[in-house]
Amino acid sequence: MRTLTVKLIALLLLIAGLASAAPVAIIVSNDVPVDDLSFAEVRKVFLGERQFWNPKLRVVLLMRAPVAPERDVVLRSIYQMSEAQFRQYWISKVFRADVSAGPKIVYSTEMANDLVTAIPGAIAFVDAAQIPKGLKVLKIDGKLPGDKSYPLR
Amino acid sequence: MHRLTTLFSAGLLLSLAAHAQSPTSGSDVARQNDLIQQLLRRIDQLESRVTELESSRAPKAPVPTEALVTPPSPPPAPAPSAVATHDHGTPITETVNTTFPNLKLSGFGDINYTASDRPGTHAGFNEGQFILHFSSALSQKVTYFGELSLTARTDAGTGTTPAPGFNPEVERSIIRYDQSDHLKISFGRYHTPVSYWNTEFHHGSWLQTTASRPEMIQFGGSFIPVHFVGALAEGSFNAGGLNLNYNLGLGNGRSSVLSRSGDFGDINNNKAWLATVFIKPDKLYGLQVGGSVYRDKLNATGRPEAQERITSAHVVWHKENPEFIAEFFNINHKLPGTGRVTNNQAWYAQVAYRLPMAMSLKPYYRYEYIHTPRADAIFSGLNLGLSSSTLGMRWDFSSYAAFKLEYRYQERPGLPNTNVAWAQTSFTF
Repeated sequence: MRTLTVKLIALLLLIAGLASAAPVAIIVSNDVPVDDLSFAEVRKVFLGERQFWNPKLRVVLLMRAPVAPERDVVLRSIYQMSEAQFRQYWISKVFRADVSAGPKIVYSTEMANDLVTAIPGAIAFVDAAQIPKGLKVLKIDGKLPGDKSYPLR
Repeated sequence: MHRLTTLFSAGLLLSLAAHAQSPTSGSDVARQNDLIQQLLRRIDQLESRVTELESSRAPKAPVPTEALVTPPSPPPAPAPSAVATHDHGTPITETVNTTFPNLKLSGFGDINYTASDRPGTHAGFNEGQFILHFSSALSQKVTYFGELSLTARTDAGTGTTPAPGFNPEVERSIIRYDQSDHLKISFGRYHTPVSYWNTEFHHGSWLQTTASRPEMIQFGGSFIPVHFVGALAEGSFNAGGLNLNYNLGLGNGRSSVLSRSGDFGDINNNKAWLATVFIKPDKLYGLQVGGSVYRDKLNATGRPEAQERITSAHVVWHKENPEFIAEFFNINHKLPGTGRVTNNQAWYAQVAYRLPMAMSLKPYYRYEYIHTPRADAIFSGLNLGLSSSTLGMRWDFSSYAAFKLEYRYQERPGLPNTNVAWAQTSFTF
């Protein structure tokens, strides 16, 4: 029985490894006049340095709550920050009067999908395997989540 | 999800098959067969549930905005860190709150203990500053920011009308219209954007690595004008990946007291102006390099009239492995009619490093230097000259609170050298 347990745990770890390597897609509401952004542009949007898609449409940034694997990918690759650094970054940004509020927290992929559909200018990131039809997925440097050398995984 | 379940099922069966090949007794085999049958039934149930869920995930019609005042599906109970949302992430119900104004309040505070061998000083606790910060979106494009400080007074309870224990001060009060990323126009009272530190950390001791600011930009100090009342235009441009940011300001400049801004009004008809530019190159994420120019006409009490020109430059590496901040200031004073010109210089360099094996700890060191020539008619008598080293350790004992322990060594012209020990707890709430 012990052998079985050990094998199951090993298998779960393997599956967890496969899951963590899954790409993270950047989704935006359909009114966002952008289809493709460079990685540097994506970073600026997530850092709150780019706050407008155009003068009439503000960026509304949605973030998954802590512990979500997609959030870990975004913190590691886009922000290059730890969870604590990320918190301090946004507190500091609001305090500097750069923005009036930090990103909004979403608690599930479905919630992110629904809100991106509904809120003009919204941008979020979700597991690329869980994007319903009809949502706009941003290319990063011309690449979609399934493509080789896609940066968010 | 289906792929994961299939993988999990296949792996489970393989594991069970491998386990079944090991030598076991007859009763063990029977128990294992039962277990296998139970697990297979469980897998069948899970697979059918996955199929059911996937079939129900057809594309949905857009959710009406008004329906989003409550979340579209009840979120699971979030982790405590998600509930304790500071400004880094507000609950989703606020995302769709399109009612204006929507005021948000946060705060900073610090408690200090200092001991020095400077004659006439006493070791003891100091309450530091109590800071309240307000931000409120008044519409999609108009936002208000305010910062209020309460600082303990040294003369509390003295005088014929006893002085209050704390000094209230409106540190910042800014209303801003955001036309786009390229142009934002605001009016109000600012921390003068001629110094990186002055506009990066404001009164939030918790935000800065060290216990206090460099001496040249101390609140209540006279070296640079820390506050600025007037109007500011700011924005950013991609500039080929350099990310050029700018500030252009016009305001009242210093008042008759050098350390104060012209809050009530200007003391002359000459407006102060400033221009700041800095870049944050895409290719060197974390780097910021910039400079500023500030011009004003001074009519300080007990000082001759003078033209003041401040030039400054900064280089910052924002990351914490290492963190690096360096600034340089030159303050030029020109006395009209006399041709007398003096230059006062100050600079500091600070380096810190977040320890990879103990992420809550960050040792740091800062050197700062101020030189004011004796011939300078504006700063004479203020004894601003300084050479100082600060060595310390920051310990982030919570996500929103830090403890800092510092040692400082200071040399001032004409005064005995001093050693200072400083402990501080700073926090945001």
